[in-house]
Amino acid sequence: MTTDARTDEELLADVAGGDQIAFEELHRRYARSVLGIALRRIGDRGRAEDATQDTFASIWRSASRFDPARGEATSWLYTVARNAIVDGLRRRREPPVDDAPEMAAPGPGPDDAAEQSWVAWRVHRALEVLPEQERSLVELAYWGGLSQSEIADYLSIPLGTVKTRTRSALSRLADELDGEL
Amino acid sequence: MAEHRDLRDLIGDDVEPEELERLERVHALLEQAGPPPELPPSLVHAAEPPSAKVIPFPRRYRYTAIAAAAIAAVALFGIGYLAAGGPDEKPVETLAMRGESGASAQLAVFAKDHAGNWPMELQVSGLAPGSYELWLTRDGELAAPCGGFLVAGDETTVPLNAPFKLNEFDGWVVVPVGGDERVLTT
Repeated sequence: MTTDARTDEELLADVAGGDQIAFEELHRRYARSVLGIALRRIGDRGRAEDATQDTFASIWRSASRFDPARGEATSWLYTVARNAIVDGLRRRREPPVDDAPEMAAPGPGPDDAAEQSWVAWRVHRALEVLPEQERSLVELAYWGGLSQSEIADYLSIPLGTVKTRTRSALSRLADELDGEL
Repeated sequence: MAEHRDLRDLIGDDVEPEELERLERVHALLEQAGPPPELPPSLVHAAEPPSAKVIPFPRRYRYTAIAAAAIAAVALFGIGYLAAGGPDEKPVETLAMRGESGASAQLAVFAKDHAGNWPMELQVSGLAPGSYELWLTRDGELAAPCGGFLVAGDETTVPLNAPFKLNEFDGWVVVPVGGDERVLTT
């Protein structure tokens, strides 16, 4: 759960001033989002983790360039992450997995892939605002392969509570993802 | 990709239609996004931010160092001023880019630095909101990425960089992130 009330924009301003606590909070909010797009882009987990470290180093160095008048912090961070990931690939002279023109594309087309990357970025970031018990419940329900009854057994809570908490979590996510809905 | 789940199974039936519609959209986004990755222990906390190591001068050398730094700064400014040809940095080349949808752009390429970077400024208008990348092309194929940017309004201006030997390429294109459809070409 978010323990720091500062907005992403305020955190970036504080990071620009050398605030390491603000940097740690931004990392907490975005680490999984950054790793997610690095994995989509690179494929290899070890290299994606390196790219995530590179991204946060880049955020630390360039936070002063963020201008809130020109857009939201999350969009700026997304761009920094994508650039850091591409730069890392370029330094290692390796083509990005999802940009290689000769690659077969069994999944969604390029536009869809770009949109999915952005949607995943926003959704994974939004999950970080949920209280821990709601976040883990959403992850179990959507990606854990468990039914609501199985989740109730697993967490030793009544089925009604599972549904109430899931609804509360989705409502909170709707508030957070207002611009995407 | 997660299997499709029925929202009513997850939250029950006792939901107002308006709220149900709102939650349906979140439900769809969650299914579209897929699971977030688990963080390895090395990424649970932020790494120590990179910082310059500061080695203080002994007090007796401080004024000498300040004077030397001032002389060096004046000298470097003079060299830079002369090299740039004046107070305003002007692009060495400005290229027009066009797209089929009526989108257009101006790509200003500034003088190469000593390391081989070509700073650029891309001014784009008419592109649909989204994320894009500028690429150098060779024989019509995407050959070298020059950075990404987001478009949210009618016009966007972003600084970019091409750390390549430009004479080894034959043009620039803008493509959606992750794609190779040319939305702007030189």
